[in-house]
Amino acid sequence: MSISISPLNPTVIGDTAAVRVAQMAPVGRLSLRARGDLAALNGALGLTLPTKIGTRATAGDLSAACLGPDEWVLTMPEGDVAGVEAALAGAYDALPHSVTNISAREVTFEITGPMAETLMTIGCPRDMASMGEGAVRRTLFDTATVVLWRDGADAFRMDVWNSFAGFVAQTLETGCRELAADMARAG
Amino acid sequence: MLLIHCPYCEETLPEAEFAYAGQAHVIRPENPSGETDEQWEEFLFIRENPKGPHYERWRHIHGCGRFFNALRDTVSDRFYTTYKAGEPRPDLSDFLGDDA
Amino acid sequence: MSTYRVTGKGRVDTSRAVNFTFDGKTYTGAAGDTVASALLANGVHLMGRSFKYHRPRGAIAAGSEEPNALIGTRRGAGRFEPNTRATVQEIWPGLETTSQNKFPSLKWDVGAVNDAAYMLFSAGFYYKTFMWPKSFWDKVYEPFIRAAAGLGVSPTENDPDTYASRYLHCDILIVGAGPAGLAAARTAAGKGLSVVVVDENAEMGGSILSEPQATINGTPAWDWLKSELADLKAAGVKLMTRTTAIGYYHENMIGMVEKLTDHLTDLPKDTPRERMWRVRAKQVVLAQGALEKPLVFHGNDRPGVMLAGSAQTYLNRYGVLVGKRPAVITSHDSAWFSAFDMQDAGAKVQAIVDTRHNVRDDLLAMARERGITVKTGHTATATAGRLRVSKLRVNPVNSGTVGAGEWIGCDCVLMSGGWTPSLHLFSHTKGKLTWDEDMTTFLPDETPEDCVIAGAGRGLWGIEAVLNDGATRATEVLEALSAATDAPTFTVGEDRTGSGITMRELPTDRSPGKAKAFVDYQNDVTAKDLRLAVREGMRSIEHVKRYTTNGMATDQGKMSNINGLNIASDALGKRQPEVGLTTFRPPYTPTTFGAFAGYHRGDHFEVTRKTQIDPWAEANGAVFEPVGQWRRAWYFPKGGETMDQAVSRECAATRNSVGIFDASTLGKIEVVGPDAVEFMNRMYTNPWTKLAPGRCRYGLLLGDDGFIRDDGVIGRLSQDRFHVTTTTGGAARVLNMMEDYLQTEWPDLNVWLTSTTEQWSTIALNGPNAAKLLAPFVEGVELTEATFPHMSCVECTVAGFPARLFRVSFTGEIGFEVNVPAPHGRALWEKLWEAGQQYGITAYGTETMHVLRAEKGYIIVGQDTDGTVTPYDCDMGWAIGKAKPDFVGKRGLARPDLMDHSNRKHLVGLLTDDNSKLEEGAQIVFDPNQPLPMTMVGHVTSSYDTGTMGRPIALALVKGGLEKMGDTVYIPMPDRTISAKITGTVFLDPENSRLKIKEGDA
Repeated sequence: MSISISPLNPTVIGDTAAVRVAQMAPVGRLSLRARGDLAALNGALGLTLPTKIGTRATAGDLSAACLGPDEWVLTMPEGDVAGVEAALAGAYDALPHSVTNISAREVTFEITGPMAETLMTIGCPRDMASMGEGAVRRTLFDTATVVLWRDGADAFRMDVWNSFAGFVAQTLETGCRELAADMARAG
Repeated sequence: MLLIHCPYCEETLPEAEFAYAGQAHVIRPENPSGETDEQWEEFLFIRENPKGPHYERWRHIHGCGRFFNALRDTVSDRFYTTYKAGEPRPDLSDFLGDDA
Repeated sequence: MSTYRVTGKGRVDTSRAVNFTFDGKTYTGAAGDTVASALLANGVHLMGRSFKYHRPRGAIAAGSEEPNALIGTRRGAGRFEPNTRATVQEIWPGLETTSQNKFPSLKWDVGAVNDAAYMLFSAGFYYKTFMWPKSFWDKVYEPFIRAAAGLGVSPTENDPDTYASRYLHCDILIVGAGPAGLAAARTAAGKGLSVVVVDENAEMGGSILSEPQATINGTPAWDWLKSELADLKAAGVKLMTRTTAIGYYHENMIGMVEKLTDHLTDLPKDTPRERMWRVRAKQVVLAQGALEKPLVFHGNDRPGVMLAGSAQTYLNRYGVLVGKRPAVITSHDSAWFSAFDMQDAGAKVQAIVDTRHNVRDDLLAMARERGITVKTGHTATATAGRLRVSKLRVNPVNSGTVGAGEWIGCDCVLMSGGWTPSLHLFSHTKGKLTWDEDMTTFLPDETPEDCVIAGAGRGLWGIEAVLNDGATRATEVLEALSAATDAPTFTVGEDRTGSGITMRELPTDRSPGKAKAFVDYQNDVTAKDLRLAVREGMRSIEHVKRYTTNGMATDQGKMSNINGLNIASDALGKRQPEVGLTTFRPPYTPTTFGAFAGYHRGDHFEVTRKTQIDPWAEANGAVFEPVGQWRRAWYFPKGGETMDQAVSRECAATRNSVGIFDASTLGKIEVVGPDAVEFMNRMYTNPWTKLAPGRCRYGLLLGDDGFIRDDGVIGRLSQDRFHVTTTTGGAARVLNMMEDYLQTEWPDLNVWLTSTTEQWSTIALNGPNAAKLLAPFVEGVELTEATFPHMSCVECTVAGFPARLFRVSFTGEIGFEVNVPAPHGRALWEKLWEAGQQYGITAYGTETMHVLRAEKGYIIVGQDTDGTVTPYDCDMGWAIGKAKPDFVGKRGLARPDLMDHSNRKHLVGLLTDDNSKLEEGAQIVFDPNQPLPMTMVGHVTSSYDTGTMGRPIALALVKGGLEKMGDTVYIPMPDRTISAKITGTVFLDPENSRLKIKEGDA
């Protein structure tokens, strides 16, 4: 089974005592690629791009997460995308780079609750303990490549490409119920 | 399932995040059209198949996306080291001592 | 109270009676019983029949090593499982169980005739019996083997249970919660490390559960156990019962299966039946204990003959006497204690028979105290009794001579051939074994994994030794984790230490050739079979194993491997370490397919990628086909249409007016950067430098070997930005290939690649009315031949959505591909659908797409090419930028074998002489009258009935085909040979006049 996911109409995927999974409203997302002296881009963005993979920086509504040695995902309110694109375009001559709008490519699930971390372990081979609060990684969940954000001890976000979202949502929903049953049995 | 150290992420992670990408240090010639048939055959088709240490490529495909190189023993499946693409081939003796 | 239940013994709760059925009859057990312990409490030993000879069998063990007592368990529809070990399955009210390998009944079985035909079924009988005559194979042998093969009966209904999986990372995993494992856990607990203890049993404690007489550090063993488990739990140690470590994989990954519901009366909601744990531990302690070996003698498989240690477990853990008049035959001290426990619990031990001449004085004294007859220096030569043992025949052995036999009446026989460490998981690590001559067994030696083995698993005996070893081993592990600590010490009172000798098959005064002395119970392999295999030339233990099937049963040789090795090495005249042990393979115990599948079953088996327009297609009756991971609309049948009828209608509508097609699955890659054009020049065959922004071009991607890998239309959006499309199935592969060249061959290029496949929904409109339909929606460009000619692209607005509009055609008609941000795809589709009604707009699927493109001779990579086809083979030399110094595949195309054009297979069209439709994949010959085997010169790659052409058309790869226009080739089919003429590949509108937007069309 897979759950029908509509990017424009966020829904709650699962909500149990153990964990809650909810699809989030669309956000603006840009894939930024560059190398060399990032000063021009930092200036255009008004933040310092983090250079250690798995870390992020935030300035106001704009956040930048480093996913690879020359790769960042920028997130912002949808209405800000054009402005950020324009600001980066102004820095192109100083530091040629690539900006690609991927706002419509994926949906985001918000995963919260006392067993949020355990829910991640039904699909993530990597050790969740290696991702502290504030960490972000591209990784594997079940058979889908996802970008996983750890926002707190019990809070994650997961970006999933549209066509994988229904399948991933179904796995998460099954897990929500399974973990709640675990909690009930454990008393 | 193997554990692989990604030299870009500087993390040791489960094999499931990676994809194998064949023998390492097979360099595509600067000007392929200048290669003889024999040279081109060597580049295109001839690969080592060692029992023991093997220089090979992996890609952190479900992570940072980078191709990198590794020295792995094909018998024990143990990785001696991994290193970034473009870095020189590490010396076997650094890992095997006198056995190299 | 059941007849054989002993008051005051065992850990089961006799105050809670549990009724279950076995072969339709209701039995009463106690809460905490297994099926085997409950049946034994009712005096039932006969629990199954063997696989090959259908011999009656009872439980010989009390744990997961049980080879005989395999039953089917049922819990309503769909919940039937064969081959469950009765010694492991816990009972619950209403459990239904059945015996196996019996017809018509367990007590009277027709298949037991195999037992009488024993000589026919000896070692290697499969290889010998079913050899000749050849004609017997299909009609006689195969049906016979299929009917006889298989253990138990497969369930026929879908399994309604759910299964789960989880990853777990920990510092220390301890496998086995016997004394060694618990002592290891105690040593590691409270050090700030994550420690996990796993045990396959319902209760932790291992051998402590069977030895309540012992005291540990002055406390009765069971009291110690209770408080120890509570302490460990309080210290944060994760204790997992009913969880079997089934395999040990690379880098300390251990697969474990947890059974969550098989022991429960009511299935809790949302709880999976089983959960597969994939555990990654920094250090592993293997504390799996040892397994008792049977003695090998004639009749050692009769129900009632049982391992002595298991009888002790049934008594002390389950409160069940397995018999009231036991006879004991042993070569190890441990069985003496089993006899004493049974005697003390009210049984009358008929005799303790030991194969050794000299036995410890204290044991002899304890036997004397209890008035038990002792016979040392004896062998066992037979048992008797129809469905249950009634007597044991023993003979004195002096200086190798077997004396006269004597029958001892009994209702059960307890045997012990000594103990062998459980080496399975250690062997999975590629761990080396070392032969211990004193113990006549293999012991664990070195392993490449970060793992230690503790306790009886490395040959130690007695609770005190094992506890202290568990603690000591744990300190080694803790040191490796930089948490060095001192080992706690344990003192055990009433400890039962002991030793023994190892026997091969027991000596007998009867003909060894007629002895049915079983080594592998489940596969019915006898000592005689093993010796026969060696006589018939098997020299390697691996060959002996396969020829006899010894150790190949579902118990994975737990009972049989060491006994088999001892006998085979004797027959070979070699020492055991020279013969070696066969490989233990995962899983340790039989594992359900469900546990391996986890969440991935039914329609959640694998991901099915769907486009944003997929729900519309589903609502409009589309039939789907899988393309890679995607499901795509294949065709849209209307009112009972067949596929051919639907496709014919869809084709005609597109050629005559306008068709709409969901092309969202096409791979899309954004190539951006100052070196974007240089990168494109190097990757694709075509020249890109002169392609102006706003124009697009068909691109061909080769491998460096010169063969076609992928194709697609590529638009240049600006000087530094290309929108590349790939085939649906090739998207990930092409991006990977591009990244490979970019990262490792051309890292100097300033260009970056981003997958935008899912950023866009792509809608294709094709047909003479396509421009007319689309134009009113488009802002920013006029859709005329002058302003937006064929192969143009533009960023604009379509129906109010930001869009990338391409003028391209995969049909030969006026065509557009509209890309809008993915979530808006459905809305745009519906607007176009509504507006298109005036033109009779028709939705078409992938099949119509295939037909329309074939009529124009457009190739589909992977259908018309197969990884061995060059652009020249497809007559597509026009797509190659010959002036470029290099591109991927340029040098490859210059290989001498690819330059030999006339001898290559070329893509051509085929038109059959009789207007029949060819089969895709059919082989082609030049001369249909040549002798067999014919020389095949190619095959049909695409074949369709087409309404447009009024006849079937086909594409084919034919040797030298481009130089054979008009020639006739032949396609031999099973019923006839079809002749066809070679043509060009473009069947329709070769001058491309249909691509043009005429004035007034937009």
